[in-house]
This record gives sequence, C-alpha cells and structure tokens, in this order.
Amino acid sequence: MNWRRTLLIIALLTPGLGVIVIMIGSVFYVAVMQSFGFYNLVGEESFSLEHWQKVLDSKQFSRALRYSAYIATVAAIGSVTLAYPIAIWLRRPFRGSLVISALLKAPLFVPGLVASFLFLNVIAFHGIVNQFMMWIGVTDAPIRLQNDRGAWGVVFLQLWKNMPFALLLLTGAVQSISDEVLDAARDLGAGSFARFRKIIAPLTVQAMQAALIIIFIGAAGDFAFQVTAGPTNVQSMAQYMVFLKDSFGRWNQAAVVGVSLMVLALCGSLVLAVLSRALLRSGNRW
Amino acid sequence: MTALRSIDVSKVFEDGFTALADITLSIEPGEFVTLLGPSGCGKTTLLKIFAGFYEPTTGRIEQDGKDVTNAPPEKRDTAMCFQSYALFPHLSVAENIEFGPKQNKVNRDERLTRLNDLLRQVDLEQHRHKLPNKLSGGQQQRVALARALAMRPSVVLFDEPLSNLDAKLRESVRREIRGLQREFGFTAIYVTHDQSEALAMSDRVVVLNGGRIEQIGAPEEVYQRPDTAFVADFIGSANLLPFQRVDDHVVETALGRLTVSGPPDDAAGFLCWRPEHAEYGVTEGDNVVNAAVSELAYQGSYTDLHISPPGVPDQRLHWPGPASGVSDQVTFRLPPEHIRFVRGKLG
Repeated sequence: MNWRRTLLIIALLTPGLGVIVIMIGSVFYVAVMQSFGFYNLVGEESFSLEHWQKVLDSKQFSRALRYSAYIATVAAIGSVTLAYPIAIWLRRPFRGSLVISALLKAPLFVPGLVASFLFLNVIAFHGIVNQFMMWIGVTDAPIRLQNDRGAWGVVFLQLWKNMPFALLLLTGAVQSISDEVLDAARDLGAGSFARFRKIIAPLTVQAMQAALIIIFIGAAGDFAFQVTAGPTNVQSMAQYMVFLKDSFGRWNQAAVVGVSLMVLALCGSLVLAVLSRALLRSGNRW
Repeated sequence: MTALRSIDVSKVFEDGFTALADITLSIEPGEFVTLLGPSGCGKTTLLKIFAGFYEPTTGRIEQDGKDVTNAPPEKRDTAMCFQSYALFPHLSVAENIEFGPKQNKVNRDERLTRLNDLLRQVDLEQHRHKLPNKLSGGQQQRVALARALAMRPSVVLFDEPLSNLDAKLRESVRREIRGLQREFGFTAIYVTHDQSEALAMSDRVVVLNGGRIEQIGAPEEVYQRPDTAFVADFIGSANLLPFQRVDDHVVETALGRLTVSGPPDDAAGFLCWRPEHAEYGVTEGDNVVNAAVSELAYQGSYTDLHISPPGVPDQRLHWPGPASGVSDQVTFRLPPEHIRFVRGKLG
C-alpha cells in the first residue's frame, strides 16, 4: 500500500474516527493535565504533583479504589457466570424460549437510577421484603437492608443490570457452536462440565472477554447504584470524584481520581481478559 | 453374542413425525453394516439412537447383550464420525485425537502410543500441531476417524462421513476406512445415501425407507435380488414393469408376454429387471423385445437408451458401445433368470 492510498484511507476515516478520537482524547487530555495542576478553574496554572500526592495519601481514596475494583470484578465475573448457563439453556429454541429470552433482557431497557429506586422500594424499611418478613412473623420490626455495609444491594443491582448484557453477547457465541461439535465431545466421554470447560468456554472466549471488559468498565465507574443503594461507610471512585469536586471545588484532585478510575478500568479489563484466556488454556492442557 | 442390537425400536419426534418404526436389527462383532436410504428415511436417527444422542420412543438397544437404551453417549462403548467431521476448532490435530483418551483417564504413555500409532496410520504425522482449519477436507476426515479410533471403541458409527469430499478423495478415504476397520476389527455402522459406497464397503446393507427396513442382505443380494420395488429402484438403476400373471411361467407386460423362471406370488404386481442384463443381437426366442429408442445419452463405457412402452415409466438399457451405433429401433432379450418379482410399487 503506497502513502497516497494510506492518506486516502485516513482521510476517509477522519469524519467518523476523528470525532471519536478528538472527543475521547480531549477529555482524557484535560483530565490528565488537570490532575497535574493545569486547566485550573481558579488560581494559577502550573505543573504540580501535589494533587496526586494528596489523593494517593488519602485513606478514603484507597478504600474507594479497592471498593470500586471489588464491585467491578464481582459484577463482571458474576454476570458472566450467571449468563453462561442461561445462554446454554437457550441455545436450542424451545416453546417459550423467545419470551424467556426477551424477559431476561428487559433490565437492559431500565435506566440504572430507576432500577435503584425500584430496588429501594423492595428493601426499604417500609418495603416489600420487610413487610413480608413481619407478616410471616420472622421479624417484629423492620430491619435495615438498605445501604448495607457489605454492598450486597449494589452487587445485586449490578448483576441484575449487567447479566442481560452478558447474556446478549454469550447467546450468539454459544449458538454459533455446532451441535455436532458438542455431540462429538459428549461421544468422546465429556460430561456437562467438561463440555463447558473444554469446548464451550474456549470457543466463546472472545464474547466472554468482551462481556467481562465492558461490564467491568461500567461497574468500576458506577455512581447511580452506589449513591442510592450503596453502603454509606465507603464511596465508589465516581462518588469520591464528585465529592472532591463538590467540597471546596477540588477539581484537580477530582481529576486525579478520574484518571485513576480510567487506569483502574484499563488495568482491570486487561487482567480479566488475560486471566480468562490463560485459565482456559491451562484448562485445555489439563 | 451380537455387538449391537435394536429391538422393535421406534422414534416419534415431538412434532409427531415418525422417523423410525419397529426396527429390529442385529449386528455381529467385526461386521461392517451400512444403513442405506434416501434423505428422511431414518438412517441418521437410528445411528443417533445407537450412539445415545436420541432415546427411542419405544423398543430397546443392547450392546454386547447389555441394555444400553437409556445410557448417555459418554457411557457407551461407541465412537462416532460425523458428517461435518465435528473437529474441535481450537485444538490441534494431536489434541483432538487425545481428547477422548484424556476424558477417559487413559494414562499418558498409552495415550501417546495411541496418538503416534494413529497419526502414522492416517498419514498425518507432519500435521500433528496444526489446527483443523489448516487441513483439507480429506485430512480433517482422517483426523475425525483417528479421534474416534483413539477411544478403542468396539463400535464405530459413521454418519455420512464422505459426503463433503470430492469423488476421487471419497474413494481413497473409503478404502482407508475399510482398511482400518479390518485392521482394528471394530464393528462399523455406516450411514449413507450413496448406494455405490454401500455396495463397495459393506458386509451387509440395511435399506431403509420411510422409517422402516425394506431389506437386509449382503451387497450382492440386495442388488441382484431386491425384495421390493423401492430397493430395486434405489440400488442401481432398475426397470420396473407392472405385470398380469398368465400362468406359472408367463406374465403379460407393457413389453409383451415374458417368460419368467418362477411363478409370481400374486396375480398382478411389479417385476424388475436391470439394464445391464438385457442381451443384444438376439432376434428370436422367448422374451425378445423390439422397441423404439426415445432418448439416448452417452455414458463413456456404455450408452444409456430409453424406450417408452405405453402406459409405463421409461425403461432403460445399457447399450455396450457408443451412441453412434444405436439405430431408432433396438432389439434385445430379457433372460428369464434376471426377471424378478418385487413387492410394493414406486412412489
């Protein structure tokens, strides 16, 4: 390919790709520069590591980082783990399978914040769960289920929201495996789990990786679930970023958290992608 | 003791389609049996019942005298070669072949011995590290065969394994399968709709039609002595003619009065004769027919002639020579010993 042709291709791609690169690149650039003391909304602009130092020294930040990494990992792995058996179950059409598939994907159409409020109605003091438990006599008074310290509410919401997305990606991948390949594995002595580990998972690893990465990134940056249903003793990265910005306008420190969040998303995605492939490879070698 | 046996096996699918009806079949150890029939006749369904992928609606399956009707495929002493080869695309040739033995906890030394022996036998030693998509269709089929044989099964089930190969390759892989079957001594059940494959490879041929067995017999038997009009028509090219019985040795047909070697069972029915059995150059005696040629097609070693007696399907003849030697009229004789009465009728 000569340079003229290369230039032509770049020129043709510019209207689409260029906009994407500029939009993402400019946001990333501003966040990084702001974290080092530039693009100040107030005061002098100068290069400084002070903002990084302050944020990295803060216990609140390390807790938020660990918490967001935990939620993102659990959401990604949990959603994929729940989606696989359903995708395999729905692999062959049966009476009602289309309806089931559509119902399972319904959460994709519910905005996260709406889902959180619906969830609160279920677990609040006056919510359905508490009323039911009192009605059957398990408890005398309502118990605290909302904003639980273990973040089970957030984990539940993440799985509820992300499992359908994983299912969407995995269903197509699982359906693309021919019946004869699975029959052959069965014929050669592979039981259900061996068929999953040695045939289905390796052949759908790309869809699995895509689901893990996209869910991890989304869950790592979660704000809506956390502020409505999350624990009050710890903040997510996004929540902490907004907190820094809102309290005394610490924009540079908020930018540090923002950049850290992007790094977390990138590193976490890479780790999950590499780990899933490595695990499957070692699985094939026995 | 039979290697595999189906007893009154029927299969009715959820949509009500009856794929098999009352199939009773015994296969001896080391035998090469072909299930032959047109699409939808139930041959693959029967094979999958033998493999354990389908459970029969009624009846039972025995292997070495044991009832295995409800045993899943992974618990049966069978291995299957699939039409699409069904190789695992993410595993190399060697890993594909080792898959079964690993699943069955065969120790490493034994596994490697089997792998190396099989790779040598199917001539794929230099391809052991390749992925299946880097191999030709014939090589993939040989991997599938080696993978099945690595399990050391007593029965190997073949589901139209050559249908995706070109004619020349098909013949060489066919010889290879038969050679390996003789060498390993396994029992083979082979599904095909290709009658030449069935005749060339089998110890016995089971002809299926509409989910029922039409005839079971050695290749020569089903070809030379078809029991039914369907078998006569499906295996090779046969001419079918309606007849009326005149006496024990004479019948009336659209080709005229024909002398037959034995009495027909019924007063009327169908008889069949094969194009290659017609004798040319005979102008007098019994069963001499003179007819106008309606169509001819040169086939290389012979010329295919069609004659059109009134009210019956075209009758075909194999004229032993080029089309240029054929005139508008053809005279031939049907030897009585090659005229056979068959049950049923076409369609």
